[in-house]
Amino acid sequence: MSSKISKPAASPWVETRLPFLASWRAHFTAPVLAPDAPYLGTLPTLITAALVFMAVSGFVLSIHYDPGQGFASLQFIDRDVNNGWLIHAFHETGTTMIFGAVYLSLFRIIYTRAYRAPGEMVWVLGVAQFALLLLVAWLGELLTDGAVSYWSLAGATQAAGNFAGLPGALGAWFFGGPDGPGTLARMAVFHAMLALAIFGIVALHYAARRAITPPAAGRVRVSFHPYYTAQYFVAFVIFALIFAVLVFFAPHLGENRLNLAPANPLAVPVAVTPSWYLLPIIDVAGAFPAPWGGTAAVIARLAVLFALPWLDRSNPAKPGGGLYRVLVVVLAVDLVLLGLVAGAGPSTATTVLTVVFTAYYFLHFLVLTPLVTAMEAK
Amino acid sequence: MAEAADTETMGHGVAVPARRDFLKILTIASGAIGAGALVWPFIDALNPDADEDAVARPIVNVGGIAENTALSVNWNGQPIFIRKLTAQQIADNQFIVPDTLPDPASYADRVKPGYETFVVVVGLNTGVPCEVIGNDPADARGPFDGWQCPCDGSVYDPLGRVRGGPAPRNLAIPRFTFLDDSQIQFG
Repeated sequence: MSSKISKPAASPWVETRLPFLASWRAHFTAPVLAPDAPYLGTLPTLITAALVFMAVSGFVLSIHYDPGQGFASLQFIDRDVNNGWLIHAFHETGTTMIFGAVYLSLFRIIYTRAYRAPGEMVWVLGVAQFALLLLVAWLGELLTDGAVSYWSLAGATQAAGNFAGLPGALGAWFFGGPDGPGTLARMAVFHAMLALAIFGIVALHYAARRAITPPAAGRVRVSFHPYYTAQYFVAFVIFALIFAVLVFFAPHLGENRLNLAPANPLAVPVAVTPSWYLLPIIDVAGAFPAPWGGTAAVIARLAVLFALPWLDRSNPAKPGGGLYRVLVVVLAVDLVLLGLVAGAGPSTATTVLTVVFTAYYFLHFLVLTPLVTAMEAK
Repeated sequence: MAEAADTETMGHGVAVPARRDFLKILTIASGAIGAGALVWPFIDALNPDADEDAVARPIVNVGGIAENTALSVNWNGQPIFIRKLTAQQIADNQFIVPDTLPDPASYADRVKPGYETFVVVVGLNTGVPCEVIGNDPADARGPFDGWQCPCDGSVYDPLGRVRGGPAPRNLAIPRFTFLDDSQIQFG
């Protein structure tokens, strides 16, 4: 390794003006890392790789997608475009993979309490990335122009129209008036633009994580390549294997089946429920009175996540206690149940259960977390 | 030097690659094949689909074209003339020295080998861009029995070579291939 570091640059002219090699050596071949990072530590990198994959498949889809045709346009992609069905399935299942990794990553951070100082900025950026991903995923689902996504968009434009003042103006600016072909074209552009904006947050997230990574403590230190590239390679292969199985055997996993029919402005589907990854966050919107209830519920849900590092009253230097971990697992179960209930469609029972599970979600963050962690801190 | 350290000798002086070398090559090779198999659908998806391809590369039946007349088809938004030559027209134009023409081109340059009786040209005058006339024997074809431009009076021979008038170049030849005696495909 030392011989590699002292090797002179192939082109000193380029190297002095754009120090790629020095940067490469500092991050990849210099033995500065501790040798015991867990496999789940590869999740942010896997998410980033999946985002790049989504950008590429989204680019190919955008070449053939016509927002004026909507549903028919996707039929054209599936049936006529060379390998269009495959690219479409890649993009659809890629969303499932990203959200699977994001939810797992969020759970891991809450469970291990890595959000505590000095990890607050990493946590906040991670939640920001999650929030933007939710928005982009919802916009992408609208582009399918199916029976369900049509009414999801109609509901959103109506809700935006009900607001007065600044929120109403923002809604009109974003949606460009009532639902129609023009609105779908806007959603296509916002979907692509905001998806690219996620990469900006990804970059900030990486910088923030690097800033708080402690220097390797022990005597044994390893370089990123080949020590960690081998680990990342294994993680990537497992990720890609799951992805491939889902693409070829369950391309519509977690989708509302009703959305496979074309949009019909005259018939509201039985259940206007989004794909599984949006269920725990977005679907509370329906359970609260319009116009403010639903929007406020979604914003509040993300707000308590942002505030989590400051809701935890424990001493960051001390390890976490067992009771808190039990509560985190209960929270995960609560969210799964919330998703199941929301996906079951509207009825009196599901509305009541949605409110109960949502109430527990806020109870966990606003009451139980400060209480339990403050008890620990004593 | 590093390779020497990674190889073992089998006793009779022949170096065999170490197991690690083999695994490395196997990993890189299978990774490259996998990456290629993954990238190909993305590249292929940007190719035109079968519908667009059929429209862009139409097949035209030329078996029914009578001698001394031309069929006019529209391809890529341009008029394409497919003309069947008479023996007299071939004899008149076969042995003209190309250098004596305004835009030198031999008989062989203007037809496809094996299908020498067919001339396929873009029917737009190369001077003032007008559609030239002369597909029908009754048309005013000019002194060379080919085509004539109704706008600037440029004169072409049956091979589509310019013979007189303001036009500087011969009639353009579109991209096409003969599938058999009676079918040509454009594009």
